[in-house]
Amino acid sequence: MKLTIDNFEQESKSGKPKNKNWIKVGLSTCGIAAGADVVFETIQKAVKENKLDVSVFRTGCAGKCYAEPLVEVKAEGVARVVYGGVDKDTAEKIVQKHVMAKQLIDDHIYSIIKEEDNGEA
Amino acid sequence: MAKAYINNVQVEFEPGKTILEVAEQVQVKIPTLCKHEDLPATAACGICVVKVEGSKKMLRACCTALEDGMKIITHDPELVEIRRTIIELILSNHPNDCLTCGRNNDCELQTIAADFGIRQESFNKITRKLPKDSSTKTIELEPSKCIGCGRCIEVCQNVQNVWALSFLERGINTRMAPAGDIKLSESPCIRCGQCSAHCPTGAIFEFDQTREVWRELLNPDTYCVVQIAPSVRVAIGEGFGYPPGTNLTKKIYAALRRLGFNTVFDTNFSADVTIMEEASEFVERFVNKKGVLPLITTCCPAWVDFMEKFHSEMIEHFSSAKSPQEIMSTLCKTYYAKENNIDPAKMRVISIMPCTAKKYEITRTEEMFASGYQGTDCVLTTREIIRMIKQAGIDFNSLTDEEPDHLMGDYSGAGTIFGATGGVMEAALRTAHHLITKEKLSKVEFENVRGLKGVKETSVSVNGIEVKIAVAHGIGNVEYVLNKIKKAKENDDPLPYHFVEVMACPGGCVGGGGQPYGVTDEIRAIRAKGLYEDDANCEARCSHDNPFIKKLYKDFLDAPLSEKAHHLLHTKYVPRPEYKK
Amino acid sequence: MGKLKKIILVKDTANNKETVRFAELFNSALRDRALDEQAQVVRAADINIYNQGVVVRIMPSDITYVNVNEKDIDMIIRKSIKNNDIVKEILAKPEDKQIRIVLRNCGNVDPENIEDYLAADGYLGLKKVLELDDRDKVIEEIKKSGLRGRGGGGFPTWMKWNFAKEQDNETKFIICNADEGDPGAYMDRSVLEGDPHTVVEGMIIAGFAIGAKKGYFYIRAEYPLAILRVNLALSQAREKGLLGQNILGTDFSFELEIRLGAGAFVCGEETALIASIEGKRGCPVPRPPYPSVIGLWGKPTVINNVETLSSVAPIICKGGDWLAKIGTEKSKGTKVFALTGKIANSSLIEVPMGITFREIVYDIGGGVPDNKNIKAVQTGGPSGGVIPEKFFDTPIDYENLQNLGSIMGSGGMIVMDEDDCMVDIAKFYLKFCVDESCGKCAPCRIGGKQMLDLLTEISEGKGTQEHIEKLKTISHTMQKASLCGLGQTAPNPVMSTLKYFENEYIDHIEHKKCTAGKCESLYEYKVIEEKCRRCGLCKRNCPVDAIVGDKDEGYKIIQEKCIKCGKCYEVCKFEAISRGNN
Repeated sequence: MKLTIDNFEQESKSGKPKNKNWIKVGLSTCGIAAGADVVFETIQKAVKENKLDVSVFRTGCAGKCYAEPLVEVKAEGVARVVYGGVDKDTAEKIVQKHVMAKQLIDDHIYSIIKEEDNGEA
Repeated sequence: MAKAYINNVQVEFEPGKTILEVAEQVQVKIPTLCKHEDLPATAACGICVVKVEGSKKMLRACCTALEDGMKIITHDPELVEIRRTIIELILSNHPNDCLTCGRNNDCELQTIAADFGIRQESFNKITRKLPKDSSTKTIELEPSKCIGCGRCIEVCQNVQNVWALSFLERGINTRMAPAGDIKLSESPCIRCGQCSAHCPTGAIFEFDQTREVWRELLNPDTYCVVQIAPSVRVAIGEGFGYPPGTNLTKKIYAALRRLGFNTVFDTNFSADVTIMEEASEFVERFVNKKGVLPLITTCCPAWVDFMEKFHSEMIEHFSSAKSPQEIMSTLCKTYYAKENNIDPAKMRVISIMPCTAKKYEITRTEEMFASGYQGTDCVLTTREIIRMIKQAGIDFNSLTDEEPDHLMGDYSGAGTIFGATGGVMEAALRTAHHLITKEKLSKVEFENVRGLKGVKETSVSVNGIEVKIAVAHGIGNVEYVLNKIKKAKENDDPLPYHFVEVMACPGGCVGGGGQPYGVTDEIRAIRAKGLYEDDANCEARCSHDNPFIKKLYKDFLDAPLSEKAHHLLHTKYVPRPEYKK
Repeated sequence: MGKLKKIILVKDTANNKETVRFAELFNSALRDRALDEQAQVVRAADINIYNQGVVVRIMPSDITYVNVNEKDIDMIIRKSIKNNDIVKEILAKPEDKQIRIVLRNCGNVDPENIEDYLAADGYLGLKKVLELDDRDKVIEEIKKSGLRGRGGGGFPTWMKWNFAKEQDNETKFIICNADEGDPGAYMDRSVLEGDPHTVVEGMIIAGFAIGAKKGYFYIRAEYPLAILRVNLALSQAREKGLLGQNILGTDFSFELEIRLGAGAFVCGEETALIASIEGKRGCPVPRPPYPSVIGLWGKPTVINNVETLSSVAPIICKGGDWLAKIGTEKSKGTKVFALTGKIANSSLIEVPMGITFREIVYDIGGGVPDNKNIKAVQTGGPSGGVIPEKFFDTPIDYENLQNLGSIMGSGGMIVMDEDDCMVDIAKFYLKFCVDESCGKCAPCRIGGKQMLDLLTEISEGKGTQEHIEKLKTISHTMQKASLCGLGQTAPNPVMSTLKYFENEYIDHIEHKKCTAGKCESLYEYKVIEEKCRRCGLCKRNCPVDAIVGDKDEGYKIIQEKCIKCGKCYEVCKFEAISRGNN
């Protein structure tokens, strides 16, 4: 549907249904160079295999070049966390341990996001 | 008018003029190696930098418009030092083989280095051996001598609209070359030589054939005939300290005899022949409706080459008459050889031309061999003949006047003005008018076709019928004329013109690519003026009034456009690829 | 969030050896107090605080303790885990020194999905502009914001727009300069890849403001992902009626197209960029006339950099005054830097103008790794200069950087430490410019190469004082007489290193020494006696017989004879040849 000045307020934010659970993978050139494409596929596959109600999507570079690939996870019942230096193994852990077991993963946390500061993605 | 100060001198100027131009109004010459009066500034050399009072930045005088109230400083120790450094940098990137360079003593880089008193090479030598390109046998590229001013490219692309030359690579490796890094002979180059005429150094040069000519002159078995083109007579003097435009026809005849030529003819005579043929052709098309209009002149080989490459669909409009050079050479090896019992196989015709493309023309098509031999054997540009005269130790300035040889040395005023833009048209009109009306013109001058305006559109009335005319010079100006013709043809509109003259070089042959260096519009105009004065001083002003022309037709050719004339004096045109493999 | 377990995030920010031990200590302390069901201990990889010993952060209450000792553990658990109290003595208030305006969506939105951008108030700025329907007010807002060109020059954006707006011409263009080419800079790529719609929106607004109907993205071909995402963004925007005919149902129509740059650095210069789009050789032409007056195909053209355009929509949404509150007096808003080099956290940062180098290097970048000494920071890429440590407290803005002999540039910020040789650095940047010079004007074409040759000789120990003088002379000429910014600024890296680190040049020239050990020709090769097994291989391989000795006496390298070819170093099987300084 084409947006107009009149329907903008109503229509501009109606496009995307929100999922409470999501995983974002930083998929810019920098991330991809560090292996984010593998991470992205791994997470997608794991979410599918476990039939989880989690949206997996790509995002751009968050600026932490030293910590690529970056994965941000928001899952109900556990803090919202940005993981860095994620490899295939950690990617699997993110799904199994973080999303499913509600456990944080050592040595990969780059920040824990205070929810009230941040709205939905 | 706006006001500004240059070195504290107040100057009034037309807004839009550059600092460089306005400085000249107050007798300040800002040095530059890249700016040429004919061309927009390329801003390549950086030598013309000046200061504006109150600003740290320096401006390029060549391309910065002077603004109202500006206070410009053109010379101070810092500016001189910067200019010197740039010159030294350029010298570090230049072979500096002045003594063996074609531009020795006539080089802008050499002059500026001398003016700045450069006494040592401060910087390491950074030069590259780059191969010469002599593939066209008309113009020689020597890119290792290029200082990257960009004039040749500017003139090739934007004045001549040919786009044969370009810069390749970048940084220190930047070099001038045919676009696509092919040989010049494979490029769309039309050999007009304007690149060489604008080059400040020896990077582009005419293909020197003086030694070939010396060999012919020394050979006891050959009979050497020489012809000089109309525009050579008013430009050659610049090589001997005469002001531009000085008509030195008779000194040239004398010099050529001293050089050892057996017979001295004048291309002005064959220009008269060209007019007899071309004017007749025009009358055929215009009055007798045989063939298409407009008729377009073809004396200029660079233009012919351009048309064959880019506008071959216009071939039917082209006059089939050969150029004066080729007519002269053909007649030498037929008419003159026969009349004087000379074996044409042993005859060598050398022509002195203002033009590099003439070197190409002599083997252009098989018609150039219509006499049974190659018509013209060798072409020398004005610049080459000046060198030969100097080599021969001839004190040109002190020579006494001599006359040309007969049969093909005497010319009408119509022949001599061929060397200026509009001249061919004017000459043709004089004769066409006579052919149509059988009357004598009360006033032979057609002033509307003279002058340096890029395209001159006018009309003349012949027997009450309007003949519409266009004269274009500088290939870049041709597009406008051709488009008008093509559009009219497409839409079946009345023809915009009946008769069109084109010369490839700005100003016509007086501004030819083989003429002495340093040409500007001012010099083009003065050279043309010299030709118009020569015309005015001629007894016969029209080609058909030249008694030797009458004799030629009576004794040899029968009549213009006769079968014999067609065989010997006309040519054909073929579409040619822009790029050759 | 009350249902969530508390989290104890542990990280040793000093040397990282204690992270594991402290995590264990916390774990056992929790177990001892049977609190392990209420809280979870996790080892952080990074906690954005540096050199403050062990840092502990309690989430979700977001309490941060620094320089935590073993004895603090008990108190922390008692106060902050059992209760919601704090341990004042070790409490820190970490502040985020970054302000993300340009990068506000990068890493948050899905760049391939316009709905994400719309959800983040995307195209709200465009809507406001079209609602307002007043070009002057748009430009006024940009003027109020104080936004200056982020591509390097820092020219006020509103003035560029206004010049173009004032031109009475049916056809005008807006160009987004995404020909990012400075070594070590990747701000534009990140924005185009991470949030392409921001730039698209900025361009449409700019197009409206100047009265253009058409715009071009000039993106370097080496950015395939950026090109893909911008293309996607364009088609999505078209579908939504945000681009093309009658945008948002108004009379305003605007189209955008991508043009690829073929990788010539100089094509980032406005006039060369225009020539490149026109299909000509990418060479600069003299200015004036400026592109705002006579630009692409002779029409008024505004060329803005990616970062500049990304700031436009937020300014429109939040007002010019909002941006003007951030930054210094003459430099407003934020600047994105690509922080790289000898820095712990190479990152893409967005900081307010006026921040100091020290804050960037230590508080954001985490300092220099491996306990090396920092030497300088380089900004402005090949057009910039080095800023030595003594100026690290200077607030960063356009003017200050210029006064220090560098420039803001497009945002490369490279940290250099004791292992970086300043002659070598100058050579690196100059070589870049020499390679990238278009070759049009003599001062840059030849001057650059001459300077590079002089620097090379210095780095090879063949320099003299005269070399320095010549460098200065050519540099002055290039700065004053080069046609475009590339040539005018190419000497900056040389001049600024010469200004601040002349001693290093002197070392190379007088003492034939490269303290940083970077200049290979100045390496000194020596036999390490303790390691030498006296096999004689080095002596046999030395091409100039510079190695003397025998099995009994051992071997020695005669420095005067040594040509620094490195052969002995290569062939020695026992690592008994040292190379470097002294």
